[in-house]
Amino acid sequence: MKELLSIEWLKLKSYRTFWILTGFFALLLPLWNYGISNGIVQLGGGGKGGINLFSQAYSFSYVWENMGFWSSIFVVFLSILVIIITTNEYQFRTNRQNVIDGWSRLQFYHAKWYIVFVLSLLTTAYVFLVGFVFGAVNGSISDFPGHIIKLFYVFVLSLNYYAFSLLLSIFFKRSGITIGIFFLYSMIIESFLKFLINWKLDFHAGDFLPLQCSDELLPFPILDIVKALAKIEAAPSPLPYVIASFVWIAIYYFVGRSKLLKSDW
Amino acid sequence: MLLHQVANFKKTYFLINKHTPLQNILSIHGISKSYGPVQALKQVSFTVPPGCVFGILGPNGSGKTTLLGTILDVLKADAGTYEWLDGMQPDAARSQIGSLLETPNFYHYLSAIENLQIAARIKKRGLDDIERVLGIVGLLERKDSRFQTYSLGMKQRLAIGAALLGNPKVLVFDEPTNGLDPAGIAEIRDLIRQLNEQGITIIMASHLLDEVEKVCTHVAILKRGDLLLSGPVDEVLRSEDQVEVKADDMPALQNLLQAMPGVAGIKAANGIFILSTENGISTRDINAYCANKGITLSHLLLKKKSLETKFMELTN
Repeated sequence: MKELLSIEWLKLKSYRTFWILTGFFALLLPLWNYGISNGIVQLGGGGKGGINLFSQAYSFSYVWENMGFWSSIFVVFLSILVIIITTNEYQFRTNRQNVIDGWSRLQFYHAKWYIVFVLSLLTTAYVFLVGFVFGAVNGSISDFPGHIIKLFYVFVLSLNYYAFSLLLSIFFKRSGITIGIFFLYSMIIESFLKFLINWKLDFHAGDFLPLQCSDELLPFPILDIVKALAKIEAAPSPLPYVIASFVWIAIYYFVGRSKLLKSDW
Repeated sequence: MLLHQVANFKKTYFLINKHTPLQNILSIHGISKSYGPVQALKQVSFTVPPGCVFGILGPNGSGKTTLLGTILDVLKADAGTYEWLDGMQPDAARSQIGSLLETPNFYHYLSAIENLQIAARIKKRGLDDIERVLGIVGLLERKDSRFQTYSLGMKQRLAIGAALLGNPKVLVFDEPTNGLDPAGIAEIRDLIRQLNEQGITIIMASHLLDEVEKVCTHVAILKRGDLLLSGPVDEVLRSEDQVEVKADDMPALQNLLQAMPGVAGIKAANGIFILSTENGISTRDINAYCANKGITLSHLLLKKKSLETKFMELTN
């Protein structure tokens, strides 16, 4: 595993797009949250007249809900990164070269999965770091850690998104079309399917669609607050969503694996 | 057992035990592969002995690249098997083989050095070999330039350099002189000969008969997925001699020649006969034979059939 990862690192470390996309994620996540916590984004416009909806939301323990939700948006940058580095291999035909040079097809596949895994871990660690700073600045450190379980959901969601991106890349091979399909699915098709399924069925099966099941783990944070205040029914247990996410991730792995082992490269 | 047989046996036995007991670098058994309705390879089988330069010769679209892709595991055969280095585990075997398949495949945004580092790591070879191979292919001055800034010839050279990393036992080249200028072509052919003299087995695909004839010791000829012939170059591409003859009494000459041993065929054209000969029959033999039987030849000409013609006959 270490050997595969260090070879993958050789491919990435001088790649400008890699640094640009991780840079976007690394900068936008704290900047965006800083903006919100300081009331730049608020009801009734900026300045003194507006109401800062989120002023309380960045202390422990709500900071994790906030960070979790916004990371679930910004992981899109890193999903695009996964797509680009995978489709690059097809564009440059280096997938073939790696195998010709002595990797097995599985080693090539696993190297990409290790990247997905490590990227998810790093995403989680970075969200923790940013969340910790916000929590410490905006509230009392004595409330740490608070709802830190949300960090685990960040990990599950990142793994789901990145692995999904990897699978799409393996099937579509071209970066443009893969990114297009990724957005089309995650933004439009899945929402539509979710709406349709939940409308047709009593059971909320639409919440268990591939990416949606992880999105359910990190809902829009204000809703949590409103729910709590208004004593709306207790939030459903997240465990089924965690399980569903891992089931989907396993499905991506096996579908991708059988595709790579059987087809021409 | 006769004495010399004993000696031969001992010699063989000694060789097998003393040196690498390699029987075959590569053996291919009945490989078939189709792309939809197009049958790219039909039941192709042959073996590559150690130490040769093995040419896979065929016109464009005859299945050369498909065959190389299959034995390097980037394409999946529909049927058939292959074995590298007497059955070595395929991934391990590939890391001992230097290959250049179709186009040079490198990361466009990385330099030559960085690209070769990746290749060397995958092949489990030392990084200290990189400068050496860049020197061999003449790219030392441009080693830090990004691959995407290279010309076609330089890309091809880099690919050859990558194949040479870590002194592989076997080299597989697909159209190695593609995209090179005449000086580059001559250089690469020399390099291939040199490498072969160092004991490296070379398998190369080419559509250039001339190249195969100049460089290869063995050849397999492919035509639309069919293996037409394979074996040592001087057997497969042996030039057949043709003799043109003419005499005043052509019917009598025909009768005479039909009876002559060593004449395989007689073809009439433009008032002369064109004979295909075998068993080393020379013009002198024919002249003497006819004179003996009382026919004086008014025309006798030896024509070497060009390899080009033979190749066209085989593949068209």
